[in-house]
Amino acid sequence: MHELSLAIEIGRLAEEKLGPSVARCVTVGVEVGTESGVEPSALEFCLEAVLSHPPWVGAKAAITRPAGDIFQVTYFEIEDDDGPND
Amino acid sequence: MTVRTIEVRERVMARNDELAAQVRARLATHGITALNLMSSPGSGKTTLLERTLALLGEPLDMAVIAGDCQTQNDADRLAAHTARLVQAVVTGGACHLDALQVSAALDNLDLATIRLLIIENVGNLVCPAAWDLGEQARVVLFAVTEGEDKPLKYPKMFEKADWVVVTKTDLLPYVPFDSERAVRNCLQVNPGLQFMHLSAMTGDGLVAWFDFLRRSVRPLAPA
Repeated sequence: MHELSLAIEIGRLAEEKLGPSVARCVTVGVEVGTESGVEPSALEFCLEAVLSHPPWVGAKAAITRPAGDIFQVTYFEIEDDDGPND
Repeated sequence: MTVRTIEVRERVMARNDELAAQVRARLATHGITALNLMSSPGSGKTTLLERTLALLGEPLDMAVIAGDCQTQNDADRLAAHTARLVQAVVTGGACHLDALQVSAALDNLDLATIRLLIIENVGNLVCPAAWDLGEQARVVLFAVTEGEDKPLKYPKMFEKADWVVVTKTDLLPYVPFDSERAVRNCLQVNPGLQFMHLSAMTGDGLVAWFDFLRRSVRPLAPA
């Protein structure tokens, strides 16, 4: 179950890339290569747990399965606050 | 609310690999050979290390980093055999060691007094394979009490290894383990693998292991 460590690392990456100004993370795009040794359903389960904390409450993992051993975060889809009353 | 997409394209293992590179450089600075010892739980990592520390702990200036999910039982067992440095890493449930833990463990060791560092990974044939720890070589223990098809079931571990040490060979008369088939299965996954066969209980085959370790470390500087 190293997927939990991987999910935590993805959470750390999100924190690093998005910074504190982001209101909400909606989707995390992850490529899990078919030869990566990472189990997508386990990763999704763990990501759900990691992403249940602010600022990505309710964020969904969008996992794609390219060929090869690639394992990378491709994008974050985020929602910004437009104004103080939003 | 505005939704926007931030492109990232960053490998999830990038940070670990960066830390592993730092560990590797740090070990190289001190001329330390580091081996990452991996296997299923119960295939004899700690017993082999006990025998190794007893004989080569002093002559090869060994230190051990022992990783386990819970308890520092292994580190205590090893420390009983040597005055050499044994550093326990309790992963708190995690199924593998990562480069950050190894880096932190190195902070607690006197690197100037070490020539051989053995990192005893968490017993697990799956997860540790993915984490580079900054080692020079990966050694997988494969006990004769396991199935010969382990390399086919857990290919990643054997793909990334340099050496396979078949352990508990004293039990061969009692178990239906076909050593030749086991070796063939290993080579099917990774044709570059090298092999040793030994029993840490009877001492059979230990000479080859000890010689391998002696060859792996840097020679002592002339006094």
